[in-house]
Amino acid sequence: MSKSKPMACEGYRLTRRTMLGGMGASLLGMHVGKLAALAGTAHPATAEHVILFWCGGGMSHIDTWDPKPGRPTAGEFNPIKTSADGVQISEIFPKLARQMHHCALIRSIAGQNGDHGRATYQLQTSYQQGSTLLIHPGLGSVVAHECDRIGDLPAYITINGNAPRAGYLGQRCEAYFVGRPGVPDPYLAFPEGIQKTRGNKRLEILAKMNRRTEQQFGAEKLRAGSTAVEEAVNLMRSPALKAFEFDDIPAETIARYGDTDFGRGALLARRLVENGVRFVQVNRGGYDTHTNNFPAMETHGEIMDPALASLVEDLAASGRLDKTLIIMLSEFGRTPNINKDAGRDHHAKVFSCFMAGGGVKGGQVVGSSDEDGYSPKDRPVKVPDLHASVCHALGIDPNKEVDTPLDRPMKLVDGGTPVQELFG
Amino acid sequence: MSAGKTRFVAGPIAAMLLTAVLTPWTLADSPVDRLIAQDNADKTDVTVAPVIDDMAFLRRATLDLIGRIPTSQEVNAYLAMPSGERRGKTVDRLLNDPRFADRWTVFFADMLRIRSNADGGTAELAYVNKAIADGKPYDELARELISANGRANKAPAVGFILGDNADPMALAGNVSQTFMGIRIACAQCHDHPFDDWEQKQFYGLAAYFGKTRRVESELAKTVYTTETREQRVQWPPERQKPKTREPVAPVFPFRLEDNYTGDKPPSHIARLIALRAKQERDRLASTKSKTDSLDALIDSAEPTLGSKPKTLDVAGESRQEARALNVEGDLYKASELRSELARLVTDPRNRYFSRSFVNRMWKELVGTGFIEPVDDFSDYNKPVHPKVMDWLADEFVASGYDLRSLIRTITATQAYQRGHLPAGLTEAKRREAHMAFTATPLRRMVSEVLYDCVVVAGHLEEQKWPAGANLKTITQRVRMVEMIDRTTGEATKVASGGPAGANLAMAGKPKMMAVSGGYDLESSIEVDFNAVLKKAMEADDGAPMLDKMKAMSPEQMEAMQMTGGDPTKRRRVTYKDVSIEVDDNPQYTSAMRMATPAQPSHFLRIFGQPARDQLGEKREYAPSMRQELLMLNGKLTHEASRVGILEPMYKLLDGPKPKVDDAIRLAYREILTREPSESEMSDAREIVAGEGKPLEGMADLRWALLNCHEFRYIP
Repeated sequence: MSKSKPMACEGYRLTRRTMLGGMGASLLGMHVGKLAALAGTAHPATAEHVILFWCGGGMSHIDTWDPKPGRPTAGEFNPIKTSADGVQISEIFPKLARQMHHCALIRSIAGQNGDHGRATYQLQTSYQQGSTLLIHPGLGSVVAHECDRIGDLPAYITINGNAPRAGYLGQRCEAYFVGRPGVPDPYLAFPEGIQKTRGNKRLEILAKMNRRTEQQFGAEKLRAGSTAVEEAVNLMRSPALKAFEFDDIPAETIARYGDTDFGRGALLARRLVENGVRFVQVNRGGYDTHTNNFPAMETHGEIMDPALASLVEDLAASGRLDKTLIIMLSEFGRTPNINKDAGRDHHAKVFSCFMAGGGVKGGQVVGSSDEDGYSPKDRPVKVPDLHASVCHALGIDPNKEVDTPLDRPMKLVDGGTPVQELFG
Repeated sequence: MSAGKTRFVAGPIAAMLLTAVLTPWTLADSPVDRLIAQDNADKTDVTVAPVIDDMAFLRRATLDLIGRIPTSQEVNAYLAMPSGERRGKTVDRLLNDPRFADRWTVFFADMLRIRSNADGGTAELAYVNKAIADGKPYDELARELISANGRANKAPAVGFILGDNADPMALAGNVSQTFMGIRIACAQCHDHPFDDWEQKQFYGLAAYFGKTRRVESELAKTVYTTETREQRVQWPPERQKPKTREPVAPVFPFRLEDNYTGDKPPSHIARLIALRAKQERDRLASTKSKTDSLDALIDSAEPTLGSKPKTLDVAGESRQEARALNVEGDLYKASELRSELARLVTDPRNRYFSRSFVNRMWKELVGTGFIEPVDDFSDYNKPVHPKVMDWLADEFVASGYDLRSLIRTITATQAYQRGHLPAGLTEAKRREAHMAFTATPLRRMVSEVLYDCVVVAGHLEEQKWPAGANLKTITQRVRMVEMIDRTTGEATKVASGGPAGANLAMAGKPKMMAVSGGYDLESSIEVDFNAVLKKAMEADDGAPMLDKMKAMSPEQMEAMQMTGGDPTKRRRVTYKDVSIEVDDNPQYTSAMRMATPAQPSHFLRIFGQPARDQLGEKREYAPSMRQELLMLNGKLTHEASRVGILEPMYKLLDGPKPKVDDAIRLAYREILTREPSESEMSDAREIVAGEGKPLEGMADLRWALLNCHEFRYIP
């Protein structure tokens, strides 16, 4: 690889900073929320759960959801037909192609940020990253904040990586972290070598000690501490924990999803929503393909295709796809032009998004990009529109206001409008 | 928190004086307590908690000052002292403990929002740690943070400016709220909705930062600040879409109390002037070379005469500019505007500066601030006991802004040494007593302290098992990486798919990484602060920098791994379960010297360590289910509970005649810093006997003691 190439990424950032710098002092707080707020918004929810696939690095749109056959920007992959009439996707997704009648694509997202940090921030929170004064909550935290918990499991779980922060929604809305899908979480059972009867005896000893302290001081926070212990023990004893363990899953099922971190993540996500979890984020990186884009995307396809196809197929078969919204997001797309290192660079001007279930009408494509995949051609969709659409599906009012630590009211979503076509 | 020892007095405030007599140790007559008593004179039915006993004081002061519980050796030494000397001598010992700087670095890191992963963050953290260890006056620290310029490896204080991306608006809000407790940040976009600040005043403050630029140099692989001629802060605000905008002149919007600008300054300022004069004489008299000290370097970075301000073409960066980095006089020239602001902020007549800091410290140590939230001084948010706050603030100024003097003063008061309220009081009565400073609220340990306390109580810093005592076979899922030839499909194995790029700033070993067994949220990897600063001092220009040295973004690094850089091949990862034999004997280091903040799901964060990326963010102390899962089931607590063969406890319980009562007393002393009561003793005997083997029963007792409320709340 060339020595100078890696800088392209940061070089872009520099240019962007310079531009912002030139705009001077007013760059802060200039974000005026859209006043044309959504009318009413009290409508029945079409979804109860969300599975968000986060593709870190900026996933090429042309090599996945928006092929450009015959154009100089097409790249190495051919488009293939899918089970959705007239919808073609890249050949790196042969299995998923057979499920596309359940799925929808948006091909006209008009992004604003070409820098990883700022783009990640907006795609995950709907807000533009402002100064360091304020942190906006990620979409999963918004859902955890607005939707009641179902069952014993935490409302919001992130797999294979960290989710965005809960910001001003507070620690209660932070994601529960699962590092190794399919391997039991050691924090949900007594320590190694401590059998159940002994562990339970320990809990009784602890409860007695804590009662003594509570009787002495009678403080509210001590009682809250004991309640937290009870909640933890309830979770440890919950039958729903079986969702985390893959021991009873046939080997062929795991193989069908692909026995990879991503495949296991998708399989775990399915089991978690089946057990009431409201929002699951599955993370995967490696999409920042400035060099050798095509072999890298081939590898991504090999890993993503069986996982996504099996997830959609299984949820559809069990009828749960109707209540589960699947959405795949990334910072931005990648340049239509192929650079001298056979790579593609950052491209925010237009990119795509994959969705399925949760009230989203399958087999459709919303919007399009121009013939080279360079800009939106029709029906441009703004980034916050995606968040508003997820809220819409869950029956959450995206314009609801919550207070920040400095008592500033903030909307749950930064002024987006649900993409109505998605919901038919 | 021991049961049945405390006595509570309800009634006229005169009774407060009695409580001092009831305690074995009579407190020094602090003006703080006299002022509090005067304020409380008309409060006839405020509840008063007595001063805590000697053992509770030892635990409280050790936790507060050095961030861990006392060891049994420290308890023994304390008890061997005459009762009247214990508290004062202990505070003096703790103020000189090497852990003092680490514990208060946590406090400053929260206040200054230090993030190791921000530009210059690691160097700033190490710099603050050294400043506390060296006893650098707080006003000097603040001046350096506000005015530093250049690159973090040479001027580590610049991490403060870089932390907010040198953004004038963010820095104006930050400096006023952090150092003066004034929330002017809302006035950035509009006149403050619930206060009297006007937008124009905010712009005047921001203008002090308007000539500072953050520069990201590709050639030198670094980020630094520099000064330009152009004032970036302009009026009217751009969002008003004005036709023309004018550069704003810097104006300090806060009032200095200069009604005593006559010949005689007030006594606390006179004392400060005398102290500084004496320190200057001593410094001149000293022949000790200071060339190797950081301070000397920073001092030398004062404005260089005649150096031409350089205009930087940030976008079209040239090689010439990279060379210009070597011109220290230029790059490290302190910002004149920010130096002026730093002087104003830290002017002894700026009472917000000293009040704000003593208020933060009082809240940290006593549990209730004069003003809460601690960073919200306003005409609409009046303090309780303002005279006490002002007295402490003036003493702080007179002491030369000395952190240790302030802590010594606070810990010597009855207000600090009071116990908690008993059960059966309404929340209103509790609040009243806490705000009258006649009782202290329960305070949970900060997360780093809780972590360290489990480590200390469980002898996990030391080797507590002989080699080979915990041999076990574990199965690990490992990644096998192959490169597949895209034409032939042929596979080649490669060594590892692990992440590349070790951090230069990391020293020490990740002690439990190898056998984590999925317990990934409790690791402690120590950062060697001295090495960070030393490396910074030695680094040549152009050498890889500590602050930002990534040639590739992490995103791109990940993508590169997909192909290994060879366009004809792609990567395939498969997994294999491998059995390995390990000696599972984890040791843990202090959580106070880690890169900070920890990752979001780490023990420290779950227990409330803030992410420090938003202004006004505070530590959270609310209990949560996830905290309990970490404590009940985590490896840290589990390993701390197990009795190691090399521990003193082992000798008491091993063999045919175990000394159970002695062992129980040791457990209570090591974990709760007190003796067990009679009923606790009889419960504990049953627990220790319960598992058949006393060592196992003791592990159960220790597990419960480490998990109980009393352990994690400061007595």
